[in-house]
Amino acid sequence: MRADHLSSGAMLRVDGLRKAFGEKTVLDGLSFEVASGEVVSLLGANGSGKSTSLRCVVGLERPDGGTITVDGVSARPGETTGARSSGELARPLAPSEGVTARSAEAVPTVAMVFQKIHLVPRRSVLDNVCAGALGRLSLSRSWSVLAFPREVQAEAMACLDRVGLADRAREKAGRLSGGQQQRVAVARALCQRAQVLLADEPVSALDPAASEQVMNLLRSLADDDGLAVAAVLHQPDLARRFSDRILGLAGGRLVFDSSSEVTDQAVADLYRPALEALEAAEAAEAAVAGSTAPKESTDSATKEFA
Amino acid sequence: MTGLTTAPRPRLDIPPRYRPAGIATGAVVAIALILVHWYAAVQTNTSPKELLEGWRGLWNFLFGVDRTYPNGKTIHQDGAFPLDLRWSETIRPGLEYCLLTIWIGLLGTTLSIPAALFFAVISSRTTNRFVPLWFLGRGVMSVLRAVPETVYALMFIAAVGFGAFPGVIALAIHNVAVMGKLWSEAMDEVDQGPVEALRVAGASPVQSAAHAVLPAVMPSLLGLLLYRFDTNVRSSVILGTVGAGGIGFFIKTEVDSFHFDTMMTYVCMVIVLIIVIDLFSAWLRKKVGTV
Repeated sequence: MRADHLSSGAMLRVDGLRKAFGEKTVLDGLSFEVASGEVVSLLGANGSGKSTSLRCVVGLERPDGGTITVDGVSARPGETTGARSSGELARPLAPSEGVTARSAEAVPTVAMVFQKIHLVPRRSVLDNVCAGALGRLSLSRSWSVLAFPREVQAEAMACLDRVGLADRAREKAGRLSGGQQQRVAVARALCQRAQVLLADEPVSALDPAASEQVMNLLRSLADDDGLAVAAVLHQPDLARRFSDRILGLAGGRLVFDSSSEVTDQAVADLYRPALEALEAAEAAEAAVAGSTAPKESTDSATKEFA
Repeated sequence: MTGLTTAPRPRLDIPPRYRPAGIATGAVVAIALILVHWYAAVQTNTSPKELLEGWRGLWNFLFGVDRTYPNGKTIHQDGAFPLDLRWSETIRPGLEYCLLTIWIGLLGTTLSIPAALFFAVISSRTTNRFVPLWFLGRGVMSVLRAVPETVYALMFIAAVGFGAFPGVIALAIHNVAVMGKLWSEAMDEVDQGPVEALRVAGASPVQSAAHAVLPAVMPSLLGLLLYRFDTNVRSSVILGTVGAGGIGFFIKTEVDSFHFDTMMTYVCMVIVLIIVIDLFSAWLRKKVGTV
């Protein structure tokens, strides 16, 4: 079953992605592919570039180099790939070396869910899901929640039903549990009509039962709805159980790409550089007694690129 | 208790709380501050001697004085106390003037909402990433804010004459700049997460403002609006003293005609008015769920 999906061609193709924040190189020529109907997990230590790569794909960060192709269409760097997909898919473009600005053409929708979920807690669940449709609504139909067209609300209800929360539509998003909120965020991504769903540590803030539920949902979106799902995870165990392939990242590069039978050793190796760096930093700190500045800067840098 | 506690811990030096460089800097700053204040006191004739000499005048103002003129006649000049408590001549009109002051503050605040919202949205990094427009918004608000309400009031009184209306306009214009700045700062501090999430969904900046930023900051905006209403009622008292209507105008009129007792009655009414508005605004802000 999984081989079928892979042979159908990559929905998302990332090629030679580079990104540096100041001196610090976060992505160093990262390449990977995700096919429709496939769940791919990204594992790696803090600072290995997992989140940054996803943020580059959706346009929240502007890559320094490399290409991002969604369903054969090049994404414009630094622009959100969810924008204005009016259905008119442009001609496939040959992957160009480096980053070149593309003319205004529609890109199939890429959606993202976040560790911190990022719903608007004061708004109702339904209104939060409707917000996924903003990219295809004119301002006159979206200036307020009161202006959302009925079709959009009906579509949002269908998306909520898909994640099993249709009965909570009129409740305030902030009143739901973490796991339910993350499912609402997935519904918002569906309302965006996403073909690619990126998940940045979607279950890191959730308890095991809720994690299980959200991961099952992602799995089923790939299996039953044919979405291409890429998830940054910090739990090798969940990655093994729910994904078709596991990508190991270290230093902004791909160090392994394997169908789920990853050895424990490979996973442990992934986190070893971080551990060594931590130990090295502590040793350096001990050597430079009295000065706390270097440690602080390392810590904040690590957090920033996590 | 266990083996863990038996090992003697090494004695370490306690790091000093203050460093010599820090103490030196502190001393320089303290001396500079003392010098500046001494110079300011000289320039403004502020001294205990002046206060003592002014004491007699203050006493006469508060409690009245008998003035004997060269022709031998003695005239009693009323002081501020006892208060003038005549109902129909002083207190009832005073209440009406207080209400007028509230109406000026209310309209001055409400009329400024649309423009303040506009400037807040274009002056917040969260809602406007187009730098030239951001600078324009900040610049316009800085200029508008640099002119005090009183000066606006004087200008509009010159244009349309004495009355409450120039006060309303003066407050509204000043408040656009002040409330716009407070609101834009509230928007700057909003959690960027939902904004990013909607950007990924393809929302335009205006759409993210309407669907991520405004819902999140609405309680803060309401709280700031109530706070500005409170402040604007105070300001409208001052605007009255330059001729822009309300209780302030009558405080000025009475003091100009040496009716210190009537003036002091109005001052007491202002104190009550301000405290009531303050309590009301605080209560409402609590209801709204901010502060």
